[in-house]
Amino acid sequence: MDVYLQFLLLGLGAGAIYCGLSLGIVLAYQGSGVINFAHGALAMYVTYVYDELRDEGDYVFPVIGLPDRLDLGESLSFWPAFTLAMATAVLLGLAAHFLVFAPLRRAPLLAKVVAAVGLMLTLQGLVFLRFGVDNRTVSAVLPNEQATLPIVDVTMPRDRLWLALVALLVTSALWSLYRFTRFGLATKAAASEEKGAVLLGFSPARLAAVNWVLATVVAGLFGILASPISGLNNANFVLFVVPALACALLGKLRSFVLAGTAALFLGMFESVISKLSTWTVYPDWLPFQAAQKGLPFLVIIVFLFIGGRSLPERGTIGDGDQARALLPRRVGPTALVVVPLAMAAIVLSPGTLRLSLYVSLASAIVLLSVVLLTGFVGQVSLAQAVFAGAAGFGTGKLAEGDVPFPFSPLLGAVAATVVGLLLALPALRIRGAQLAVVTMAAGIAIEEFVFKNTSFTGESATQTVPPPAVFGLDLAPNRSPDFNRWEFGFLLLAVLTLLTIAVANLRRGATGRRFLALRSNERAAAAGGIDLTRTKLLAFGLSSFVAGLGGAMLAYVQGSISSISFSVFVSLTLLAFAYLGGIASVSGAIVGAMLIPGGYAFALLDEYALNDGVGEYGTLIGGLALIITAIANPEGIVGQTLGSIRARRDETVMAGSDT
Amino acid sequence: MTSLLETRGLRVTFGGLHANDDVDLTVEEGRFVGLIGPNGAGKTTFIDAITGFVPLSGGTVTFAGDDITDVPAHQRATRGLVRTFQSLELFEDLSVRENLLAASERATWRDALADVFRPNRRSPVAEDVNWALDLVELTDAADRLPSDLSHGQRKLVSIARAAAARPRLILLDEPAAGLDSGESRQLGVELRSLLDESVTVLLIDHDMDLVLGVCDEVYVLDFGRIIAHGTPEEIRRDPAVVAAYLGAGSGS
Repeated sequence: MDVYLQFLLLGLGAGAIYCGLSLGIVLAYQGSGVINFAHGALAMYVTYVYDELRDEGDYVFPVIGLPDRLDLGESLSFWPAFTLAMATAVLLGLAAHFLVFAPLRRAPLLAKVVAAVGLMLTLQGLVFLRFGVDNRTVSAVLPNEQATLPIVDVTMPRDRLWLALVALLVTSALWSLYRFTRFGLATKAAASEEKGAVLLGFSPARLAAVNWVLATVVAGLFGILASPISGLNNANFVLFVVPALACALLGKLRSFVLAGTAALFLGMFESVISKLSTWTVYPDWLPFQAAQKGLPFLVIIVFLFIGGRSLPERGTIGDGDQARALLPRRVGPTALVVVPLAMAAIVLSPGTLRLSLYVSLASAIVLLSVVLLTGFVGQVSLAQAVFAGAAGFGTGKLAEGDVPFPFSPLLGAVAATVVGLLLALPALRIRGAQLAVVTMAAGIAIEEFVFKNTSFTGESATQTVPPPAVFGLDLAPNRSPDFNRWEFGFLLLAVLTLLTIAVANLRRGATGRRFLALRSNERAAAAGGIDLTRTKLLAFGLSSFVAGLGGAMLAYVQGSISSISFSVFVSLTLLAFAYLGGIASVSGAIVGAMLIPGGYAFALLDEYALNDGVGEYGTLIGGLALIITAIANPEGIVGQTLGSIRARRDETVMAGSDT
Repeated sequence: MTSLLETRGLRVTFGGLHANDDVDLTVEEGRFVGLIGPNGAGKTTFIDAITGFVPLSGGTVTFAGDDITDVPAHQRATRGLVRTFQSLELFEDLSVRENLLAASERATWRDALADVFRPNRRSPVAEDVNWALDLVELTDAADRLPSDLSHGQRKLVSIARAAAARPRLILLDEPAAGLDSGESRQLGVELRSLLDESVTVLLIDHDMDLVLGVCDEVYVLDFGRIIAHGTPEEIRRDPAVVAAYLGAGSGS
């Protein structure tokens, strides 16, 4: 028995990190209504600053163009390094608030999600530039010698217990702060109604700033204390945000106690599962990582579903102004101009450039699915990559099983549709930010249970995707000695063109009106006889089918795929770039796809404009672009441009008719 | 005359508070019925209850002979029971015409497929939409966005959106709020003309003059209960009604 107890207690290490992050997420949400996907990245940045001070004695500056670092000596001892790192956390919190989220205070949920993704990418890009990619071992802070607990007779490192203690202390401190102080009361008041805070004599903006500072400080604190156990690299902390978000949701983004304790339990659960998986009766088909990462999410989805409502209540606050979904005009003539241009680009682009173009074209299909679901129907889904992946893996499997070409991707897309309809179920009762996190959770569950499951993918954990061919016509992307063949490019372009026209047509017809009515106001839509359930199912079904076709095409481009190709961060990136292009317009999907990391625009820049490689700045630039778009240009590149062109043309028409 | 809408013992409770208590109300086909009551009397809750937007804690709702107590909101609309909202709740992303189309089209799964291939085919409800636009004299504004219109025009859009679906019964939630007395009288005339199109109307308002001026019969709601029912003439003289209105301090 004591061995299980030992594993349970060892899990407190991970639990403490989740706890620190989920407390921070609750704070940020209470302060400014943001679901902060960047919280892990914030903790990561603070921890890197600390580690660099301890190791090198250097303080690293984040601003590009200023000196990189300030040498403070050989290496700093704990307290000065810790103090400087915490000061950095304070500044980061203030920056996150004043530069990013305060301007978005009244923005729709989607803009906040995109800004958070932008912040995450920005921090990741900064860490990459300033600290490198090596996995770091952070020197221990808490006493970590082995200790034997009395009574239960378990031997384990002390630091887990210390961490758990700190986690409980911080949780109860925050609980008391919100429960007993005017500051906490005012924050809670402001979270539901800004006037409430004003009446108590607080400025909502200042409250939000203080909450943000608390949020980053807590995240940084746990990053520093727990990184000796978890290790530190430019990915792991960013990923910790996922279980932390789940725990914060369990606390309804409100309760520190629920979120904090859920996080500790989650850490312990994950740890003990890894022990349970050594049982002889443990099922082979369920990898223990899947059980660790997947099961908690299923619990949370069920929990939120039960608490949801099929119709929003009267007086539910609207979601702010959405990006305008302009009617696509002149679809045919536009295609007649753009398609030959794209054909020329395919033929004229040299090797690697052509590969980036193919990545962009295939991604454009997936972005279309984002426009359809999130742009038209307002359902923020963070599972689009999972739909793509379902079809990608499906296409590979089917083609290996000798299902001929047009049928393998089509059936793969049908598989994606089944997944999409499953994911639509929570959307029937859960809305807005919660839906975003739930789709993400469901996506991760599928990623863990299926995509990473070697009894599904095979021992190598990769899936080869045999190339397409039809009626003896070889459409393979690569056929030695030719790589990125134009034949495949034309296939890709044909699929994209057909789907773009199909989605544009959907927007123009009765279906599009139903979609936009639902996006704009669910209560009024229901009063107008629109079946919300069916409409959401239809939207998720169509979107996942389109995403599936995009996934199949991406799979062809890559030739062999693994779970990495369709991870949750791919979903976040897809959503973000659809937004950058113009979330509510079909051409936005195409523009967004050109700008995507690894896509055509960066490859062109790299090839012709800048010789010394902008590649290393890619993530940083992408992240900043997203933040700026969310704040300054929420219609996206296409929405903004088209909107102003049409406004000018309409004015001209009116002026003309006056004379 | 047959009764189109009937509530029997209708009750809505919010945390122990009876917002509607034992409400019996009948709307006969082809009549113009009013429901008045001071602010907070439970009028909007009553509309929400009939149209399926709040769950009942007791009683039944019958529409056109069918018990619709457990029918979801959108199906009540497709059966011909439509409403407007006090706060209008227009589809701000859609043009005026699209607002009306979206609320009258009864799309099926197959329509989605048809849209992909022929997005510009004529909507089967195009005629009704034109009629409703004409009714409220907004034909010229059909292609504008609701946000470009005046408040009065926006109100008319919400009424036209309900009317375009060719319902059997329209529930109007305070359509005259924010209008001056002249506009309000004009609106009364336009609403009255709905009866000629075989639409029955239940008008909910706290403006006594409007309701008593246009309705055939009137119910009075106070503290969630029906306290009077009769012709406008009878209501005007009813001591309970006078007391409720004077007691609520909004004498009009």
